[in-house]
Amino acid sequence: MFSDPFIAFAIVCAAISAVLLLWYLVARPKLTRATKIVLLFAVGLLPLGTAANGNVAGYHATKTRVFCSSCHVMTPFGDDSSNPGSTSLAARHGRNLMFGDENCYACHADYGMFGTITTKIGGMRHVYEYAFNFHQLSLEEALPRIHIRQPFPNATCMRCHSTENPGWLRIGDHKSLLDRVRTGEVSCASEGCHGPAHPFAQVAHIKAEQAAAKPVAP
Amino acid sequence: MIRLPRLLTVSAVLTLFGLALMVWSMIEPTPMPVMLAMSVGQMFGTVAFGLFGFVVLVDQLRKAREKGERARAEAARVASGQLPKVPTSDGQAPAGAAQPSTAARSEPAPPSSGEASR
Repeated sequence: MFSDPFIAFAIVCAAISAVLLLWYLVARPKLTRATKIVLLFAVGLLPLGTAANGNVAGYHATKTRVFCSSCHVMTPFGDDSSNPGSTSLAARHGRNLMFGDENCYACHADYGMFGTITTKIGGMRHVYEYAFNFHQLSLEEALPRIHIRQPFPNATCMRCHSTENPGWLRIGDHKSLLDRVRTGEVSCASEGCHGPAHPFAQVAHIKAEQAAAKPVAP
Repeated sequence: MIRLPRLLTVSAVLTLFGLALMVWSMIEPTPMPVMLAMSVGQMFGTVAFGLFGFVVLVDQLRKAREKGERARAEAARVASGQLPKVPTSDGQAPAGAAQPSTAARSEPAPPSSGEASR
């Protein structure tokens, strides 16, 4: 924790500020110029240092796989993508050092100038969904109901897989579907191509559909 | 009547709560602490700093007002001739200043030459 300079600085600022505030609350000095300067540091400048550095540290924390899978319904997604023996698309990307511990964010973050902001707003929607719809469900109940809100965009895959590489173009399916892949008409993560990225979730969806389709006994 | 020390106490306590939430989010970076720190914690900090600024502003205005009142009272005393004499470097009263009575002098009068020779 303290190896992160942002966190270390934020905690040092918070500690100094807390000491000054406790001194003020205990000693109750008169409001002289010196007291005002001490309080300017204790209430203003030092907490500002804590908040600014804490925000950066918090922002980094929200990108990690541990953070994403800390809600119980996301646990299997995190476990699968960090499983070295798994062959799912998510796990194979998770083993890539370019994705590493932030593989959820690397694939699910929006691209573009305001991508970070729209991703964080989308994250607040996840919080809402979890608090009001999924929090009380068991994992077995939740898994069939968890779905991606919009089709996974090929543009996300194409940040790394440019579709220009000769090795990529040598593959027949890539070559024949080139235009449709680039426009997003055919999804990279579709079944039969490279997906689904989280196969166990797909299995849960299929099981739920089959159970729903079963005729109810009279 | 606004009690400034009480406002400062509220400000200090709010800051402590805000700092506690922020530190908690860094020690345990899970959704709830991080969200609380970035929303409630920062709101506490902002309100606390606003209160501190308000207290300082009110205090400065009050001091300025008191200073102005003192200056006006001083000017009124000067105008009415009640100002205590400010002696010049040679011990003489400044020109135009009211001559204080002997009883009001702080130092005793120097002895006359006849008394000194005795």
